[in-house]
Amino acid sequence: MSQFSVIGKNVPKVDAFEKVTGQPIYAADLKMQGMLYGKIVRCMDHAHARVTRLDFSEALKIPGVIKILGPEDVTQTTYNTGACDEMVSDKVGHLLGDLKDQTIFTYHVRHQGDAICGVIATSEEIAERAAAKVIVEYEPLQVFMTPSEAEKTGTHQLHPDKPNNMAFQLPDAMFPGNSYGWGDAEEAMKEADLIVEDNFYVNKQKQCQMEPHAYIAQVDGRGRLHCWSSGQMPKITHQKIARLFDMPMSMVKIHSTTIGGGFGARLGIISEPETCAMALAVPGRPVKVQTLREEDWIISESRHAGDYWMKLGFKKDGTPVACQARFKANTGAYFTHASGVPFTTGAWLSGMYKFGALGYQGESYFSNQAPAGAYRGYGNPQTNFVLEQLIDRALTQLDIDPVQWRLDWHKGVGDDGWCFGVKYPSCQLSECLRQGAEAIEWDKKVAANKQQSGVKRRGVGVSVMNHTSGAMPMLLEHTVTTIMMNEDGSAVVSTACSDLGQGSHTVLHQIAAEALGLEMHEVTLKTGDSDANGFDIGSHASRTTYVGGNSILEASDDVKKQLLDRASRHLDTSVENLEFGGKTIFAKNNPENSITTAEICRLGVYNYMDPETGEPEGAPGQIFGFSSHFAKHNSPPFGACFVEVEIDTETGEIELLELVHTHDIGRTLHPAMAEGQMVGGAQQGIGMALTEEIYYDDQGLALNSSFTDYKMYGSSDMPKMKVILVEDPDPHGPYGAKSVGEAGLTSPVGAIANAVYNALGIQFKEAPITPEKVLKAIKENGLNFA
Amino acid sequence: MKERMIELTVNGINLNISVPVHQTLLDTLREQLGFTDTKYGCGTGECGACTVIIDGEDSLCSCMALASTLNGRSITTAAGLAEQGLNAVQQAFIDQTAVQCGYCTPGMVVKSTSLLRKNPNPTEEEIRKELEGNICRCTGYDSIVKAVQQAAQSFPEENTQWDNAVELKTGAHS
Ligand code: FES
Ligand code: FES
Repeated sequence: MSQFSVIGKNVPKVDAFEKVTGQPIYAADLKMQGMLYGKIVRCMDHAHARVTRLDFSEALKIPGVIKILGPEDVTQTTYNTGACDEMVSDKVGHLLGDLKDQTIFTYHVRHQGDAICGVIATSEEIAERAAAKVIVEYEPLQVFMTPSEAEKTGTHQLHPDKPNNMAFQLPDAMFPGNSYGWGDAEEAMKEADLIVEDNFYVNKQKQCQMEPHAYIAQVDGRGRLHCWSSGQMPKITHQKIARLFDMPMSMVKIHSTTIGGGFGARLGIISEPETCAMALAVPGRPVKVQTLREEDWIISESRHAGDYWMKLGFKKDGTPVACQARFKANTGAYFTHASGVPFTTGAWLSGMYKFGALGYQGESYFSNQAPAGAYRGYGNPQTNFVLEQLIDRALTQLDIDPVQWRLDWHKGVGDDGWCFGVKYPSCQLSECLRQGAEAIEWDKKVAANKQQSGVKRRGVGVSVMNHTSGAMPMLLEHTVTTIMMNEDGSAVVSTACSDLGQGSHTVLHQIAAEALGLEMHEVTLKTGDSDANGFDIGSHASRTTYVGGNSILEASDDVKKQLLDRASRHLDTSVENLEFGGKTIFAKNNPENSITTAEICRLGVYNYMDPETGEPEGAPGQIFGFSSHFAKHNSPPFGACFVEVEIDTETGEIELLELVHTHDIGRTLHPAMAEGQMVGGAQQGIGMALTEEIYYDDQGLALNSSFTDYKMYGSSDMPKMKVILVEDPDPHGPYGAKSVGEAGLTSPVGAIANAVYNALGIQFKEAPITPEKVLKAIKENGLNFA
Repeated sequence: MKERMIELTVNGINLNISVPVHQTLLDTLREQLGFTDTKYGCGTGECGACTVIIDGEDSLCSCMALASTLNGRSITTAAGLAEQGLNAVQQAFIDQTAVQCGYCTPGMVVKSTSLLRKNPNPTEEEIRKELEGNICRCTGYDSIVKAVQQAAQSFPEENTQWDNAVELKTGAHS
């Protein structure tokens, strides 16, 4: 029998009933009285250009066009659509060189899709027709798309403060020698018996959340600005919009709509500034901006592509003596996450194995690509693709089994985590490796693959990862919760934590219900209202269960303390003599002496005077629990992924036969949702390894901004999959839970690459590994698989 | 703008409406009639978020059909499937935790219902094939396939090719 009533149970997702009938309101579903439609005119034909003429006269003649706003008709305050700038102190932001370099509309087009002006009209169709009539003439500028093009002398400099278009490098003041790590990696490398070294390219992957971005904004009669947005960080959106339009936060309200997937795409803000600027131009009228899919594709941030150099040194017995690496990330046209991702890419690298010494350099370069930003994994999959392949290359030469080596050398409990000084409090990676190897029959398959012949070749691969549960200690980790106890003892939990669909609201319900001794339906979550909810940094860094959950536990403790205090008065005994038994509090020495929590709550609210005694009937006041929780710990999840592939060496086609996902996420709070995160994460990891990349032509225009041209794994492409969760309650997570949101994506990337290596003996240095690349490599290596 | 009068039955309600001749069924449903349970995902027939049932059995991407050509036809959306309480597919989606962000869900539910109406006992392969036009970026499809199998009351199937199950194991301490 489980010690818990709802924790660890597959309770129905709290939003599932509505979602199966299509009832939740996503931003695009909203319609309001007197609503106007906004259409943003974007530069679709150039990746880099200057606007030489902007003429609204023809467009304004169309009946139904209310206003058109150009770059000068809106605030000139600049901003950053990412969120890193809100999560570090000003001092750190300054050291990192963070920029706010975006404007609402621009005369300087830095990437295809940059916004020029905004049309406001009475219908969507009229707005679209008018947008087509806006005359924009451009002077094309030199286009540069990669870090190596960006840093070449003579290349146009995208930002005056950033020479050679280097948007970011690890600052010397925080990371001496602009390098992150420990020991002297260059010296240590000299001790190596075997060195493996190579240059890799990691791809620009798109989140492809199914709901295209949509917004509504309206200024009400009091001059208050309302914005309906599906951002995953409503409080950051609140702060950014208030600052951008120079209004107190009390004059801005963010209404969070149901989020149709995010995966990082909705981290920070996207087109809220344009939409709000249009609403401010037509006070009283709501303005709706619906982004088309193709538009969504080129304006919202993607994963950081980049060039990744790595060098690893080993002793003959496999001892890893040194690791050196340098990642040059492509941040695209704007700063966005230019400092965040190159840092974490190295953090994940340093958090994985016990190298004798490690030195990592992380940089970001501007280019005329659409901006890169947050995408599930945040640098981790990039490192996984490179590190895990290079390790296997070395292990082949050293004749050491990849599973055994990882068992011997992965970091674990007590080791420095991805941020030095923060030690891993729990780790079941070894058990994950053992369980996964057994499930996929590793030894048997490795042996069989050595004997194979024919045109179809099989391979197995393994990769390990860890991630994070929140962003402590690098970034602010803060969630506020209030719990209002209704007069019947049921509870309303108020928090700004958002649910992108992964189920965080269900888990937060479970945590509150368990902590307060209530049933699921006796708890209601109040979210998505910036007037009602206290601060929360937002759903990112796989933090909501871990940090949000602990905040709810803290607020629940506050409620319970108040209940006990009052029970002690009602039952005329000391708090020490009291115990909770579900919804009742009783005296330990006399269980008959008891009171229900509902009764305490009722008496607190309906606090009448007893006419006989002249005393109030119980302790007065409605009970509110409160927590302003700053995470004190970070307990990363660990995982090992095993993959078997079969490659047709005549077509280059890679078929995934099986994927075994083993993870240590602490205690599993909801097994089915955790499995859903793993399987869904794997679908995206598979895409990064094998099929997904945004391609550009030589003028910097995107070639595949549609679901037909951008290849994702579909329902019948997915491999047979098995998820094994190795449970070991973490000492710090709520009920022992660690994070799960991002974990599932990362390890499949390296595991697939390693399975391909096992099958063909070839490593692919550029992701994704497409059939064309496979065929080319087979040819170049002069291999014959007949 | 040219308009045309059509008779359209939506979720059992008979409507006589005038629609612009070039308006997609998706826009008629969402913008004109307020059936926002049918979703816009791409507008180009590539994602399945806008799927509806036409004349009780077949499914259709409503973003690819002009409402003006559907005179006399009957349309069912996800909400329409739940008129007498959730249908078996909808219940199974809840039971199997096959719903994450929910944006693909109405289309998925409609498509799966259409499949089961035509083929009450699909194999796992047939389910996966049928759902190829419906993109879900959240679930990785396994839970959705299981839900359709549950709805077909043939779960688990003999064909165990996709015998996916989450296993909880206890951690080891040395
Ligand atoms: S919206 Fe119709 S298929 Fe995507
Ligand atoms: S549940 Fe989010 S797209 Fe399917």
